[in-house]
Formats: sequence, C-alpha cells, structure tokens
Amino acid sequence: MSHVKLKRPRSLLRALQRNWRGLALILLFGSVLALAVPRPASDRVALGEQQIVETANPQVCAHTLLENEVQEAKIKRSLAMARELGASTIVQFFPWAYYEPQRGRFSWDNADKIIRHANRQGLRVIARLGLVPEWARQSGHDEPTTLNYLPDESYDDFARYAAAFAKRYMNSVEAVIVWNEPNLSFEWGYRPVDPGAYVRLLRAVYLQIKAANSNMLVLAGALAPTLEAPGSAAGLNELDYLTEMYQLGARDYFDALAVHTYGFRDAPATEPGTKRLNFRRAELLRDIMVARGDADKSVFVTEFGWNDHPRWSGAVRPSQRAAYTIQAFEFVAANWPWLESLCIWALRFPADLLSHPDNFTLVSADFKRKPIYYALQDYARGWERSERPWLPPPVAE
Amino acid sequence: MAAAARRRVKPPSAARTAILAVAIAGALAFVILSPRSAPPDVETAFPAGEIVVGVDASFPPFALDDGETIEGLDIDLASAVARELDLRIRFVNIGFYALHDALISGRADILVSALRVDPARMDDLRYTQSYFDNGLVLVRRANDPTADIDALGKARIAYEYASSAESLLRNWEDEDRSLTRLPYELPQYALDSLRLGFADAAIVDATTLRLYQQERADWSGKVSYVTSDPYAIALRIDRADAWRLVDGALAALKESGELATIIDKWL
Repeated sequence: MSHVKLKRPRSLLRALQRNWRGLALILLFGSVLALAVPRPASDRVALGEQQIVETANPQVCAHTLLENEVQEAKIKRSLAMARELGASTIVQFFPWAYYEPQRGRFSWDNADKIIRHANRQGLRVIARLGLVPEWARQSGHDEPTTLNYLPDESYDDFARYAAAFAKRYMNSVEAVIVWNEPNLSFEWGYRPVDPGAYVRLLRAVYLQIKAANSNMLVLAGALAPTLEAPGSAAGLNELDYLTEMYQLGARDYFDALAVHTYGFRDAPATEPGTKRLNFRRAELLRDIMVARGDADKSVFVTEFGWNDHPRWSGAVRPSQRAAYTIQAFEFVAANWPWLESLCIWALRFPADLLSHPDNFTLVSADFKRKPIYYALQDYARGWERSERPWLPPPVAE
Repeated sequence: MAAAARRRVKPPSAARTAILAVAIAGALAFVILSPRSAPPDVETAFPAGEIVVGVDASFPPFALDDGETIEGLDIDLASAVARELDLRIRFVNIGFYALHDALISGRADILVSALRVDPARMDDLRYTQSYFDNGLVLVRRANDPTADIDALGKARIAYEYASSAESLLRNWEDEDRSLTRLPYELPQYALDSLRLGFADAAIVDATTLRLYQQERADWSGKVSYVTSDPYAIALRIDRADAWRLVDGALAALKESGELATIIDKWL
C-alpha cells in the first residue's frame, strides 16, 4: 500500500503572491469568455417606428387585456394586431392594485409599457380604472374582501390614483372610465349595489382628475346589461341604475357615458325593450341621457360583441357572430350619431379562461387570428369581403 | 479491503434492533392514526349541514335556469354528491365571471358548473377528479379501417366553421398534415356530412356528438378524443377536508355507475 503525501493547502494570499501571472491569465481568459458567451436577451422590446392606423371606419375599437401580460413582446404584438385589424382605439384596464401597491408609492412600469406601445402603434387609449389594493380594502372586520371592494373611506385614495394616472398620461391617454359595471354586486365587492355611493365615487374622481389634467375625458357608467330588478342581491338593471345616478346628481361629474351592450342571441337591428337584453338596449340608456338634459354628451360603447361558445345559452353560432358584428358596425354608422367608439370585447386574453368568455375574443391566447378577426378586418379596412366561407348543408342524394 | 470494511461495521445488537423496531412502529402508528389521515368529518367540513353549490345556470344541458327551476347534468351531479354526504343542498346561480369570487368569499362551498380544470387557478382552488371530458373528438364511420389520425392521409374532415375544431385542423395543417377541410355552418352538418358519406371524418366536441347520437340512435361512429377538456368540481384551496369528502363522493358515484346514468340522462 503506497502512501500519498498530501500537500498542505496554501493561503489565498500566498497563492496570489506566488502565482500572480497565472491568476492574471485566468482572469483575462475569464473576461474574454464572459464577453463571448451569449447572455439572455433583455426583456426590453424596441418600440419600433411610429405607425398609423389604416382604417375605413374610425369607430372600430377593441378592448385589450394587457395588464396581466408578462412579456413586453406580447404586449407589442397584441397592439400591432389591433392596429392591423383597423381599430383606431383601444380600451385597456389599468388596475389600481398593480400601480399603487402601497399608499402613495406608485409603480408605473407596466402601464408605461402598454401606453408607450399603444401610442407607437398609432392607437388612441381609453383607460378603465379599478381593482382595489389590499391596503385600501381594510374593512374593519375579518371577512375576506374581493378586489372590487372599495370602502367609502378609500374613495379619496382611488381618486388620487386616478388623478396621478391622468397627470402622468396627459398626452397619451384620451379618457378614463371610472370603475366597471358598478350595478353588479360582485363588481361592487359583493355588496348591495348603491348608485348613491357610485355617484360619490364619481364626484371624487372627476374633481381630482380635472384638477390634475383638465383635458382628460371622464367616462361614467360602464354599467352591465342586466335585467336585475330593484332589491335583487345580484345587482340592478342599468336603466334604473342610470336613472338613479342622474337623480343623485351624477350629471355634473362625467363628460361622456361608457356603455356595455351585448347582442346575446338577437341580431343587431332587433328592437330594444326594457325586459330584453340585446345590442340596441344602448338606445334606452341614450334615451335616459336625453331625458335628463345630457343630449350633448357622447357615448362610448366600451364593450360589445357576440359570443360563439357551443354551450352557453347567450351565444350564437360562429357564422352568426361574424355576420352580426359587421352588421352592428353598419347599424351604428347609420343610426347612432351620438356614438364616439364601438369597442369589441375583446381582442385577446393573455391566457384562456377555459369557458365561454374565450369565445368573445378575436385572437386566441397563442396569437392565432380567428375567422371573425379577418371578417372584421375586411370591414374596418374597407376590403372586399368573401361571402359565406362554409359549405351548404349536406343533403342525402 | 472487504475484510477491513467488515471490521468497521458492527453487527446490530439486540437492544439496537429493538429500538429500531419501536421507532418504525411508532412512525407507522403516527402516519396511520394521525388526524390528517382520518376520514374527514362531514359535520366539521360542512357545519351548517348544507352544501352551497355555485353554478352558472346558462349552460345547457349542464345547467339551465328556465326562470322557475334549475336543471341539468351538473344539477343532478351536485344533488347526488349531497346525497352521498347526507347534506342538504342549495344552489346559487352565478354568472361565470363571479363564480370564483363567490367561492373565495365563501358564498358557495363548491362550484359545479362545467368547469374545465384551470392550472392558473390552482393557487386558490382545488379540483376534484374529472366527471366528464368535453374534448374534441374525431369521428369516423364505424367500419373505417384506419387506426388513428396519423393514418387518415388526405382525409376530408368536416367541422363547424370558426369553431375550436377549425383551430385544431389549422394547427394540423401547420404540421404538414395533408387534409381536406370541409367547413359547415353548424356542427350537426359536419356530422351529417360524415354520416352521408361526403366526409371521411368529422371533428366536434364530445357533448355535440352525444346530443347528435341521441337523435340518431341508429347511427354510430368510431370515436377518438383528439383534445381533452376535463370538467371537475372546484373548492377553495383551504378547504382540504371538504375537498376530500366531495372527491370521495364523486369517486363513489363513478364506482356505483350513478355518474354514468346521470351523463346518459342528459347527453
């Protein structure tokens, strides 16, 4: 058995003293290697050249959902698809909880990216504001609250956020929508809906926004189309809700009305009715505005569309969806002079929701354009449309 | 070397063996008898003696509210689960967008609503085992000799225009599969096309196929799933005991054949 004599470990200092030339060589080699080895690309995506939207119908608008998009490249790609569609405007959600995680400490990176890319694509931006950070949801008791729970004492905090947003994006965002569908209980933090509380919120936001940026349009409402009767736990129909808003003095605190109007199973030209949900129900809201002396204000339809899920009871077939969507644009161009924009819900979701809402989109989560995208693009850009891209029903010979 | 190694390892003494045996037995007893592995207690998991079921009743034939009653496959399934657990049942009809908030805020104990398992929600939810797969199915004639989709060659495949079947077929085209696509306005037409011999195959979702076959009992095809969309029951992540009970009840319904009976009733 041989004995191996182990060398004693030398101190680093001694090693440096004796072998400084070797170490210098190693350091030099390491530096060269570090420069030569490819590093992961930066997430920063070039804005690219300034684009212009080519459209034959500037009322075409698309609701985007980019707030949860992690990769900047996907934000850019989505917005480029909106431009290529022929949409002049987007509606985009800017959640308060994301941008003011601690009271008074704003973090605008995500919003900056979205707005920079949107502007570079030539798109006008309408911002929807909502979603309450945890610090502003303290309700004084231990029950869990949802992200839409905004206690009265936090109205001024939300208004300050809205004002900070309006000031920061003074020249890059055209309008803000105050909250989303406050006439639904779950959008109101699972509390009974309260038009009076919404008007107080609207007033607080309007005054602070105008003080920060008098050019920013403040859009109110964005009420959900629903038939809920007064006293319902789920919410209140938007006609009664808007009427109450006016009765409680909302008129002085918004510049235009945001409207959500879905077609469900009706064709776009189907007559509206107080007991029926369809596309022209927006006209009933318009009637309330006119009756309350607000005829001079315009309307932005910030959500509309048809769904083509095979099982959902509010859906139509994909072929009908494409046809109805185009017919809706044709209808408003001919009949709704008070309309500013008609925004389709939705361009694309960052990830599938795995239920019928996925069948509202024009583009799949993996950026595949659906046939309705091409149909709408043909219309928006004034291109010739192909008729009936399907075969006749098979018949036994 | 082997002798040296043997010298270093002492043979276990009787005392050591006894200590080891006691330790193993103790660990086993802890695993077996610990409260974690005891069957969950229904009264503790559902203290009100009631199970509140959140459902979006706008999804026939899974759940539909006609203004007076709620009925459908999901309603029957939830009722059967409640019976298994000997609980009263109450349904809360909630639109899809509010379903998950209802669970998180405690307004519903479980969601039975044709819910597809969504990995993105697993921080907040637990899903039971699946009770139905509504994936896309490739349907061929019953006597079609081809073994699988790869053997279809230049088959003519019928589908509904602009549906998820079209997306799938376009993906297949991207993979250089040489198929002939036959788009129809309705999924029933796609199946008619197969049945009448205009197409070699059709792609529809599993529910559409079952409903079509209900109306044409004399016709059947050779069916293979090409995608999977499993439906499951969802519970809040922190209600582990309730989840074990509901999942166990669902397993029992599968075992007894009652789940199959419910599915056959509606599809």
